[in-house]
Amino acid sequence: MDIVFSQVAWLAPLFPLTAFAVLTAMGRGLGKAGAIVATAASLLSFVLALLIAAERLGDSAEDYTGRIEWLRAGGVVLHAGYEVTNLTALMLVIVTLVALLVNVYSLSYMKDDERISVFFAYVALFTASMLGLVLADNLLTLYVCWELVGVCSFLLIGFWFRKPEARAAAKKAFVVTRIGDLGLLIAILLLYWNMPNHALDYTSLYNVFHSQSEALSDSLTTLIALLIFLGAVGKSGQFPLHVWLPDAMEGPTPISALIHAATMVAAGVYLVARTFDVFEASPNALTVVALVGAFTAIFAAAIGLAQNDIKRVLAYSTVSQLGYMMLALGSGAAAAAMFHLFTHAFFKALLFLAAGSVIHAVHTQDIREMGGLGRRMKLTAWTFGIGALALSGVPPLSGFWSKDAVLAAALEKSPWLFAVAVVTALFTALYMARLFFLVFTGSSRGEAVVYVHAKESPAAMTVPLVILAVLTVAAGFVWTPWNEWLPGWLAGSGAGEEEAGAGGWNGVVVAASVAASLLGLLLGWLVYGRKGAAVSAAAAKAPGLVRILERKFYIDELYDIAFVRPLAVLGRALHVFDEVVVDGAVRLVGRSVQAAGKLNTRLLSGQLQTYGLAALAGAVILIVAIAGRRFW
Amino acid sequence: MTMLGSYLTLAAVLFCLGLYGVLTKRNAIIVLLSIELMLSAVNLNLVAFAKYGINASLRGQVFSLFTMTVAAAEAAVGIAVLISLYRRRATVNVDEFNELRR
Amino acid sequence: MLDDLPILSMIAFLPLVGALVLLLVPQGRARLIRGMALAFTFAPLLAAVALYIAYEPLLGGEAFAEKLTWLSVPLNMEAGLSANGATSYRLLFDYRMGVDGISLPLVLLTGVVASMAALASVQIRKRWKLYYVLFLLLQTGMYGVFLARDLTVFFIFFEMTLIPMFFLIGIWGYFSRENAAKRFLVYNGLGSAVMLLAFLMLIATAGFSIEQTASGAALSFSGSYDVLAANLADPNAAANLNGSMFLSDSLKGAAFALLVVAFGIKLPLFPFHTWMLKVHTEAAPPVVMIHSGILLKMGAYGLLRFGAFLLPDQLRAWAPALAALGVVNIVYGAVLACVQKEFKLMLAYSSISHMGIVLLGIAALNETGFEGAIYQSVSHGLISALLFLIVGTLYERTGTTRIDELGGLASALPFTSGILLTAGLASLGLPGLSGFVGEFLSFLGLFDSYPWLVAVGVLGLLFSAVYVLRGVLGMTYGALPDRFAGLRDVRFVEALPMIALTALIVLLGVYPSLLTDAMAHGFDGALKLLQSAAGR
Repeated sequence: MDIVFSQVAWLAPLFPLTAFAVLTAMGRGLGKAGAIVATAASLLSFVLALLIAAERLGDSAEDYTGRIEWLRAGGVVLHAGYEVTNLTALMLVIVTLVALLVNVYSLSYMKDDERISVFFAYVALFTASMLGLVLADNLLTLYVCWELVGVCSFLLIGFWFRKPEARAAAKKAFVVTRIGDLGLLIAILLLYWNMPNHALDYTSLYNVFHSQSEALSDSLTTLIALLIFLGAVGKSGQFPLHVWLPDAMEGPTPISALIHAATMVAAGVYLVARTFDVFEASPNALTVVALVGAFTAIFAAAIGLAQNDIKRVLAYSTVSQLGYMMLALGSGAAAAAMFHLFTHAFFKALLFLAAGSVIHAVHTQDIREMGGLGRRMKLTAWTFGIGALALSGVPPLSGFWSKDAVLAAALEKSPWLFAVAVVTALFTALYMARLFFLVFTGSSRGEAVVYVHAKESPAAMTVPLVILAVLTVAAGFVWTPWNEWLPGWLAGSGAGEEEAGAGGWNGVVVAASVAASLLGLLLGWLVYGRKGAAVSAAAAKAPGLVRILERKFYIDELYDIAFVRPLAVLGRALHVFDEVVVDGAVRLVGRSVQAAGKLNTRLLSGQLQTYGLAALAGAVILIVAIAGRRFW
Repeated sequence: MTMLGSYLTLAAVLFCLGLYGVLTKRNAIIVLLSIELMLSAVNLNLVAFAKYGINASLRGQVFSLFTMTVAAAEAAVGIAVLISLYRRRATVNVDEFNELRR
Repeated sequence: MLDDLPILSMIAFLPLVGALVLLLVPQGRARLIRGMALAFTFAPLLAAVALYIAYEPLLGGEAFAEKLTWLSVPLNMEAGLSANGATSYRLLFDYRMGVDGISLPLVLLTGVVASMAALASVQIRKRWKLYYVLFLLLQTGMYGVFLARDLTVFFIFFEMTLIPMFFLIGIWGYFSRENAAKRFLVYNGLGSAVMLLAFLMLIATAGFSIEQTASGAALSFSGSYDVLAANLADPNAAANLNGSMFLSDSLKGAAFALLVVAFGIKLPLFPFHTWMLKVHTEAAPPVVMIHSGILLKMGAYGLLRFGAFLLPDQLRAWAPALAALGVVNIVYGAVLACVQKEFKLMLAYSSISHMGIVLLGIAALNETGFEGAIYQSVSHGLISALLFLIVGTLYERTGTTRIDELGGLASALPFTSGILLTAGLASLGLPGLSGFVGEFLSFLGLFDSYPWLVAVGVLGLLFSAVYVLRGVLGMTYGALPDRFAGLRDVRFVEALPMIALTALIVLLGVYPSLLTDAMAHGFDGALKLLQSAAGR
């Protein structure tokens, strides 16, 4: 089949990039017109992505690569290029779809903000850089887009710049993810000097790491894999660099949906999947990935149990779900991870946008002040419910199928990891049940006025919800035990995903997963859903535990003591050193020269003739010395 | 060759006279005149070497022309300075001028 | 067309002509003075752009080279030298100009930054005429430094930047400007003295060339780069001249050490950096634009030009020390920048940190690293010029540049704040903006030889994110204090240089080949020397 559209895939990021350029150049005055321009651009990208995916649905679609010379380093030319494979086609669809829906949703959500065109400009740049990241055919181009994605999320998290919390959260997001980025940068440097011909593109990576060639030693491979993983840890909010993600909730809610579903955090998982050849060459690195993923999954799910901010609960659930994806990757099942990324994108975007709808209605994010909203906002409640069930892994919603694939992979790797993943599933169902029941059922706990005025959001906001809800239900059927289309298709793209994943129907896995999610939901209903259940029931029974969870295991405080303060102290100490020792030495030299000068002025009368006499005497002595040397 | 010695001796005598004047005279005008004397001694040397030196050429004579020009300029500047000093201090006694001390 | 014109001399001396013409204009004609100064600043920029377009990397700058004998002083040599058959001796001061892949980017940088600083000089409120005369003189010095092809010419131009800069800092600066100017002069004067000593050592020994004339062989000493490089690289050079007169290895080492000190002061290298902090905080913003944007780069240029091309053995021997010093610069500057309360001081420390990266590139001893050093120089020149331009704009409006006294400026000055944020992001090395490419190339180059130093050095990137965001967000984000409520954003004249610099930063970040292609082959000579040095 011809691959016409794949050849122009570079247009996909170019549309939103142009929108960004136009919006920035025209400035703030553009207002809503700018928003429409940006939305139109994202629509174009989405259409293109669909066309690309459609033409690749056949079996024999070839990968397409295009590149231009970007930079000359020494004699080596580094390229900027793009590559279209089935994996990138899938990612393109996810990213552009979520971006489009977020754009439409924001048309209504942000309509009263005076900086609406700035907002849409940032979103457009964000989309463009994420699409660039997805399309990149080599690690350097990926790194460029990778950082741009980071800076866009920074800009959007800090969009409401007057709030000090937003400022702090934006700064934190940027700095914390940068730690990971440095790992990736060093990995790129290592690859550059160790790969044959300094190649950084994926095809070469595949050739080198897949052919068991001896180009790189085992320890070096592991080191590179771990450094790449460090980048993914930062971007995808894995432990211990997860701290920025919950704080990122300071941004406008549509942005949370974009960051959590399709762009920023997905980048980490995508990076590992894209460079999976390196990981496969190093079993140790894979184990580390699996362990970190599993730990993050259960750790974040536990924190999610005790959060009271509707968006923070969802944020921790994202961290936890990303842990799942990493676990799948670490278990060697890249296809399962991508599958979970795919379904997660839909239901997490759905949940965030629905949460935004709730916040839009009641102007608070604290679930203790909500309640009973289901009666006022039926559509929001229904769609949120579907998302929650999908996230909890209830069949036959999409979350069930993808989580199943992940669990099956984990079981193959190790029963312990599987156990952790099942417990996480239980926690997930529990906190989603808590969230749903506290927000939408029961009676209102907030101010009565607010409750009375709470009403369903306008169509621009609810239509994306409905679309996402439909996808949430349907998306899972691309990979079921009786339909192994997705892993086969991903593997068809050649590079990397040959052993597509475990697949197959595993009774233990299904039973455990369904049992965990139903048990979690039941528990949630018992504690929070029944009539007369108290919001703080859990807190009353186990105050210490809940407190630790509420404070997120004191990780932020720990980092403050371990890194932030020492840096400040070091800085001040060096400042004193600079002023006293370094500059002091300079002043000392200066002073001593001055003192010597003062001393000398005593010898001088100011009488020119005396000076002349002294000079004459000096000249005579010199002449005598030079002439006299001959006679010695 | 013998002629060179006499020229050099004359120049040396001139130079020493000038030097003596510069170092001992109290009147600034005399000091300036003595400086001119020293410069003339130098010019004499230049011309002498130009005529009788090892690499005899016109260059030394040309150079002495330069020196004369510079000397004239220098005398003009010196006297200008002296006049303005005289206006402020009403004296041309070099012992009174110790501005360099400050 | 360009072949017929002495384009290099035009670039270097157009500002000088401007300064002389400006002297004839009466003091009161402010508009005329300003207009003429701008014209004579933009003219060499246009010439430099024409040069860039006409320049062929493969051919090098041969087509543009200029040579003129300026002074020829006959020497009387002791009989010892006649061994090589020369019958006459002279000291040659040639006026030699040339351009290659290393100097071309820096010449362009000089043109851009000087032009933008000239536009930004609307902030100057007193003694216009003198200001612009000095400003133009300074430009001639800077262009000359990069274009000179002879040690003497280099030295003269180098000194030519010193005096105008001294007055520009001392007359138009802030509160303790005179102190800053004195420090500048003392430190740099010292550096020049040390440099002169090294130059004299080189000229008097390795600068010889023998010409066969009708009256016999003529031995002349000159400071021509080509002659010096050829003699220093030639193992038989000592025998050709006379064994006792030629530089021994230890003397070469001493010359290199002197050069490191001289250019290290300029760069500035830890611990010679304190003078530069004062200049950054006390001088007027347009002056700092020039200073931070171009003058610091003369240090990098000198180290590269005289280190890699003349004394490759010594550069190789010193490379580990230079790399270590570079890392110290990076981390030391970055950590200190994290705790500064004064934005200008923060920028000064960040400059120290960024120039450390340049040093890393030089210490890498490979083409990638050298390119990185030049790229980083250009990029840092543009970025710091932009940052100080903004500092000047902010100071004019708010009367302070202390981070803790400012806040929320994005509400009152959205345009300036946006540019400040962009500049800050460029400074912390965001890909897509020019800062990244220089850092990447430098680290890439050094990684081959000293991976562990790079691992420490990249910490600087992390810290740079911390201090840039702390400074920029501290000033622009947050609530706007009431006293700043009435501030007006920039006028068009002020916005113009900001937009131009930002556009260049983006352009170089998005398509770095623009510069790296011009640099290609610029280092071929040095690399050959370094390789043969490694072989020994």
